[in-house]
Amino acid sequence: MLSMLPELLENVGAVGVDPAADRLNPAAYPEDPVSNANFHEMTDSDLALARSDDRIRFSDSLDTGSLDEDGAQMWLRVLGDARLTLAARMGIEDEAWENDRSLSESIEGAMLSYLGYLQNALIEVLTSSL
Amino acid sequence: MATAPSRIDAPEIEGVDELHRPWQVVVWDDPVNLMTYVVYVFRKLFGFPEAKATKLMLAVHQEGRAVVASGPREKCELDCYRLHHYGLWATMEKT
Repeated sequence: MLSMLPELLENVGAVGVDPAADRLNPAAYPEDPVSNANFHEMTDSDLALARSDDRIRFSDSLDTGSLDEDGAQMWLRVLGDARLTLAARMGIEDEAWENDRSLSESIEGAMLSYLGYLQNALIEVLTSSL
Repeated sequence: MATAPSRIDAPEIEGVDELHRPWQVVVWDDPVNLMTYVVYVFRKLFGFPEAKATKLMLAVHQEGRAVVASGPREKCELDCYRLHHYGLWATMEKT
């Protein structure tokens, strides 16, 4: 199932069209369109490259089965992006979703929980060396 | 610098003012990211001790937003970029 995450993330569409893209590339200046456009012009391609790099390393690490600290942080980001993407697909907009059984007990909801569980496990290990 | 009278106007003065006016980075609450994750990201990106990172996370969670950093504009924009890379929603504000 984890091997599907890179593909899930690669299929995220464009900002303004795909809510997942909007969530992954939020406005830095929500009320200043000029500054916002400048910020995104400067940073969007770097961020996309960094994420693409994360996904490649993620896939590779599934083969090798081992992670160093840097790799664990990469996993946190990939798992996090996947959770945000899933949540966007589920139409989650506020915390009420956790009490909505049709959402929390759906397959996506189960994936969200599982990926969160993995994040917590990684955080526990990473924090012990902070 | 001497300038012709028509050039002593607001935009030039505003430009100087903006250079020295500090900015701050605001992180907003979201319904997906785990509290533990947010605490970790704050610790990793800003070097906060656990108590401070937890306090900031709780402020985000309970009040909807919190200021996590401040300084010159470019430094704050870099912080926003790094926070976005970790999936948090960060915005820029003038202090």
